[in-house]
Amino acid sequence: MQKTFISLPLFCALLFADAATILPVEKRTFEQSKFIPDISLILDASYVTRNKTDDEIAHYEIPGVAHGIMGAHAHDGHSHATYNAYNGFNLNYGELVLSSSVDPYFTLDGTFHFSENGVEIEEAYFTSTALPYGLRLRGGKLLSNFGRLNSQHHHYWDFGDMPLVYQAFLGDHGINEKGVQLQWVAPTETYLMFGGEVLQGENEMMFGTASIADPTATDPDAAPLAESADAPALFVAYAKTAVDIGETTVMPGISYARGTSRLDHFEDETPHAFSGMSSLYGADLTVKHYFDSYSFLTWQSEWMMRDMKGTQYAQPDANTTTSVSLRKEQAGYYTQLVYAYNMNWRTGVRYDNIYQNDVTKNGTAQEMENSFERISAMVEYHPSEFSRFRLQYNHNMALYNEDGDRQSVDTIMLQANIAIGAHAAHDF
Amino acid sequence: MQKLLFILLLPAALLAHLNIAVTYPYIGALTRAVGGDHVTTVVLAKGNWDPHFVVPRPSLIAKMRRADALIMNGGQLEIGWLPPLIRRGNNPKVNPSAPTFLNLAQGIELINKPSEVDRANGDIHPAGNPHFHLDPHNIPLLAKQIALFLASIDAEHKSIYEKNLENFNAEWGKNLERWTRVMAPKQGMKVVQFHDNLAYFNKAFGLINIATIEPLPGIPPSPRHTLDVIGKIRAEHPCCILHDVYHSTKTAEYIRDKTGIRVILMPHDIGALESVDSLTALFDYLTKALTDD
Repeated sequence: MQKTFISLPLFCALLFADAATILPVEKRTFEQSKFIPDISLILDASYVTRNKTDDEIAHYEIPGVAHGIMGAHAHDGHSHATYNAYNGFNLNYGELVLSSSVDPYFTLDGTFHFSENGVEIEEAYFTSTALPYGLRLRGGKLLSNFGRLNSQHHHYWDFGDMPLVYQAFLGDHGINEKGVQLQWVAPTETYLMFGGEVLQGENEMMFGTASIADPTATDPDAAPLAESADAPALFVAYAKTAVDIGETTVMPGISYARGTSRLDHFEDETPHAFSGMSSLYGADLTVKHYFDSYSFLTWQSEWMMRDMKGTQYAQPDANTTTSVSLRKEQAGYYTQLVYAYNMNWRTGVRYDNIYQNDVTKNGTAQEMENSFERISAMVEYHPSEFSRFRLQYNHNMALYNEDGDRQSVDTIMLQANIAIGAHAAHDF
Repeated sequence: MQKLLFILLLPAALLAHLNIAVTYPYIGALTRAVGGDHVTTVVLAKGNWDPHFVVPRPSLIAKMRRADALIMNGGQLEIGWLPPLIRRGNNPKVNPSAPTFLNLAQGIELINKPSEVDRANGDIHPAGNPHFHLDPHNIPLLAKQIALFLASIDAEHKSIYEKNLENFNAEWGKNLERWTRVMAPKQGMKVVQFHDNLAYFNKAFGLINIATIEPLPGIPPSPRHTLDVIGKIRAEHPCCILHDVYHSTKTAEYIRDKTGIRVILMPHDIGALESVDSLTALFDYLTKALTDD
């Protein structure tokens, strides 16, 4: 009965209502589709085959430098995987990029990394467009302009994986932080840019601010091993320049980063933690020669040195926490040569080496391995500007197993990188 | 008397000097012609390179940083390389929203606007074919836009820009008459190209493009498509392959060997060939290449 009461007037209303005219998009009064930002989606997938199992790989480390840098590993209760982590098929990510002007003064860019482990805000920042005197301000979450490669997204790299020195010192995402960046381009004939960044300091491999609790403490109010550091805690500065010599461009740059380190790995296989101050020095040089509009040769190299000073904590058994004063002076570089034959084909080789690994505990120098090498070669086929298939071979001699034996890891990967939408042009 | 006045005014003119960045050499030539002594033109792209694939070198950022204004071709021709330079030049004067920014495509009726915007059709330009400066009838329209633009940002020398425009148009009109005359017998002639970058030139002089060597815009030649082009050439007897200077002529030469068709190198901008050092020289060359039998 009730239903009849309700449906009757509805029916009458429909009977006498004028059908609303559906206007073409451009005539709808409040239509805003012209304001939709540029949108693009980038898919990165790969097929990987290695001479080691995934389980073996996950336990390998670069002694004294980094652990868990290949394969998948758990941290803070959720699992991480590096790109191309598993034997077989890998879906590295689907990257959604949104970008548009905000108003006459700012643009906004967002890069969202969708992976099987969830969604990450890879970058989300506003950039000033109206500052005078060659200044530019950027704020939000951003990839630092430290060095050459750090600010480039994965899909723009010449190889499917990060150079060893980046991955070992900074992890897979490099310096990717919340903070602000100020850059200044000098009004000179030659390109000259200076930049500085104030960042939160939350890098998984080198920087951190959170206090480190004593895992053996029974009293929840017990003092932590290390107090939290004042944030923002990471400061980055760099200078970059470029000189053209005919069809060749030479681009040198120097970078410096300094911040507090609170690295808590008490939940790892070998429980440990570090508290101190760390500096990272970088120098990079890229030389690019163009033969014509499509063919070029690039030689790109970066050197990095880190100096970490502080206290290392360890937990030899369930009831004991030990501490030693620790200093790590470690340095490495990569150098790569990429040749683009034409619009379709590219090939390249890369050599990685972490050649310095000076670790001092309580004033005593430790005998550590100090030559971690890897060689890589790749060939790429680009059917068009928007799709790329890359075959890469890595011979990695940098990793050691739990028993301290050097491992030789051979990897072959076939990587597909496909983009749709309004994809922004890349920098030089 | 005029000369004396000019010398007297010279110091003031130097003070008002405008540093104008332009994307392609032809825009540089037009800006110099209209701006005369009151502007310095900095050309970003090289004339002998593919205008779609200009390399955004850091040295160009330094040029953007110091520019008082930016003039671009537009029609998405610069989409692959200019945005990073604007982004990194840190100079509000070269932002697309600034009054010191000029997009020439906005004052031109673009042709070949694709009915369907889909990258399955290659690297298409949604707004239409952006190589409009190769129709000599468009040159006065472009010069006029530049004159209005210069006057809008430097009102003090408005009359000079107008006078320069008038002189330029008078000279151009004479040339245009000559080119129209020599090209008149070529009406209806069929041609083949690598990429349809002479669309406006062909339209201006009634040439008909029957095929492109690249199967779709921005997609390199494929063997199957090359065979199709050879078939078309045998069936329709076009006069020649009009080839740009920046793509490899390998496929064109292969087609020539199979069909006996002529391959003519056609510069697209000032500097594309060494002898092409001005806009007049560019159209002299293009018309001469087609009428020199």
